[in-house]
Amino acid sequence: MNDTSNIKHQTSNIPHFVWRIVDVIIGGIFIYAGAIKVLDPVQFANDIDNYKILPWTIGVGFAFYLPWLEMFCGLALILRRLYLGGLSILTALVGVFLVATIAAKVRGLDITCGCFGHASQNWNFPTHLALDLAILGVLLALSFRVVSGNRLQHAV
Amino acid sequence: MKSSLVRQALLVAALAFVPGLVQAIYFGDKVSWRSPIPASEMVTVTQAQAWGENAIWVDARPDNEFASDHVPSALLLNEDRWSELLPQFLAAWSPEKKIVVYCSSQGCNASREVARRLRKEAQLPNVFVLEGGWEEWLKTNR
Repeated sequence: MNDTSNIKHQTSNIPHFVWRIVDVIIGGIFIYAGAIKVLDPVQFANDIDNYKILPWTIGVGFAFYLPWLEMFCGLALILRRLYLGGLSILTALVGVFLVATIAAKVRGLDITCGCFGHASQNWNFPTHLALDLAILGVLLALSFRVVSGNRLQHAV
Repeated sequence: MKSSLVRQALLVAALAFVPGLVQAIYFGDKVSWRSPIPASEMVTVTQAQAWGENAIWVDARPDNEFASDHVPSALLLNEDRWSELLPQFLAAWSPEKKIVVYCSSQGCNASREVARRLRKEAQLPNVFVLEGGWEEWLKTNR
């Protein structure tokens, strides 16, 4: 089982502990987001259905699966086990979610993402978009750090 | 690195599948896998109209759509102004009445959301979603 704990962080001037804090914060956010959805899968199924992309039955399946996936990926970031896998899945999930949110807006759908339970139900579209873009930016920065670190290792 | 990434991603995805499956089996009977609204919570225009005075109609559409036209005697209760409109609705509600929530058409979500909040947050019984919404009501009545 590979992890990235042996990756040297010489790719930027940002100290290693700062990246670790970022890992923990982002991991924590996804664990929290997953946990509230695990508690109410029916509500999350409705949130998925609001996007009008997937048939209801598949949406229900995702409603049971995605929260756990978010939590496992969050754990991977915090524990630095299966780090690359967790990071790439989260980046893909947020990317897909962003596209779906923008597509829903373009189609005139009034969606509530339900990403963070009831707290996020009253967020407007720009707030959703800004938060998602910020998270995607951090995930891409983490990915870039891993890729650059890996290249450096191979170059040495 | 690429193969390691794919292997790890597959492993995380597979690990998450296990509790997801267990939860789906455990909660499987608490959610309808066929339709967002269980058949028992839907009502047709004809059924709802047959309830007559025992039905209280709730319009879950935005303010402007309600203002342009609505089911006679329907009360406005949408998510945009939920906190403001709910007390007005509760003042008109009585326990023996059946609540019929509608939005613009079969494909809209507002009626489902309002019905869900009436059941969960306001803890009201006998909440139904109108099949086909306002469009269907118009077809039947005009």
